[in-house]
Amino acid sequence: MNEELDSQLSAMFDDELPAAECELLARRLSRDEQLKARWGRYAVIGATIRAERGVRLNAGLAGRVSAAISSEAPLAAEPASQPKKRWDIGWWQPLAGVAAAAGVAAVSIIWMRSQVLPDAMPAVVQTVVPAIAIDNRTDHRTANTPVAATVASATTRGNTGESDSYVVPKNAPRRLVVPSTELANYVVAHSEFSSPVTRRNLLSSFMASESGTAGMSAVSEEPTEDVQDDAKIPQ
Amino acid sequence: MSADVSDLSLVRRVQRGDKGAFDALVLKYQHKLVKLVMRYVRNPAEAEDIAQEAFIKAYRALPQFRGDSAFYTWLYRIAINTAKNAVVSRDRSPIEYDLDRNNTDESYDMQGRMKDPDTPEGLVLTDEIRTTVNSAIEALPEDLRTAIVLRELEGLSYEEIAATMDCPVGTVRSRIFRAREAIDRRLREVFEGGLGRVEELG
Repeated sequence: MNEELDSQLSAMFDDELPAAECELLARRLSRDEQLKARWGRYAVIGATIRAERGVRLNAGLAGRVSAAISSEAPLAAEPASQPKKRWDIGWWQPLAGVAAAAGVAAVSIIWMRSQVLPDAMPAVVQTVVPAIAIDNRTDHRTANTPVAATVASATTRGNTGESDSYVVPKNAPRRLVVPSTELANYVVAHSEFSSPVTRRNLLSSFMASESGTAGMSAVSEEPTEDVQDDAKIPQ
Repeated sequence: MSADVSDLSLVRRVQRGDKGAFDALVLKYQHKLVKLVMRYVRNPAEAEDIAQEAFIKAYRALPQFRGDSAFYTWLYRIAINTAKNAVVSRDRSPIEYDLDRNNTDESYDMQGRMKDPDTPEGLVLTDEIRTTVNSAIEALPEDLRTAIVLRELEGLSYEEIAATMDCPVGTVRSRIFRAREAIDRRLREVFEGGLGRVEELG
């Protein structure tokens, strides 16, 4: 046998042969039974030097594996294409998730705003009125509660102060209007899967609306006569 | 030298349908795999069966092997999982005692002897291989012996051996090759002529 070939085989066994030479030798090794036998003896030498006790050096294991595999269909995979395929499948999935999450968030925010802030509602109603404050004060003044307070006091039954619903605790703080700052916080807190661009757009729109609301709040901070007359909340 | 390049070249051939390349991988790793499995099962014959199953599983799973890890790391994981499953299923199975087996079922006894590595014949052959290899190593010149032992026992790379022995990498490669050739000449006599019982290495 060619000494150079054997030298290459020894180096290949130790993973010390250049890749190009490995390719050529691997082809020959898979077909040349003599070379394969020598390769197998190299493995026996190594096992003996490592004193692998209990391991049979003539177990016939390779022969049994070879026989078992010979009945199987040859593999015909294209290994190089597999990672690309996986990448192709995988890249759009997070984006689709982000798009879906952003869409749901945007729709729900628009819906909430349209529910809470109807165009016809006067600006003064947008003032945040904590329900707990109203609850303590509506026992005797239910009839005169302003619009916001009326909604909040719906959780009480008449003058008894009993809870009308077991779902909403009597003293649970409720807000009739969610300010844009809180909406922005909500979006940030739940934007784990949204894209930065979508998030920035939403936040920008909140900030824009916040500045508008701030203007309205400034107006509402000066109580109108209606509020003063209708609310009659003792100071 | 990039590690695992020779395994990878063989693996790629198997993935393209060359079963002969898988034989080379089995020949290379069979002893290491059996030794690994013997951490989970004490019986060498059972360990060989599990190793065989692991090799077959690995062959079937090779289309999914992308080379992210070294082949032997991947193979060892399969072997460990196979061994663990075998231990679990064995522990669940009731132990069968057949008191009449020795009297009535001679074929069972023959099968058991064939699989049992501790039969006198198997022991003699394994011992002869070990004796032959060890005596061949003892007879090697010191530089060859040191090179092959550092490689096989310590698992050093050629570069590390070169640094240890203070010689060029090419010299290390040559020394290891010459050491293997010297041992292989003696070993071939055992496999081919000596006992006349070893028609295959695996």
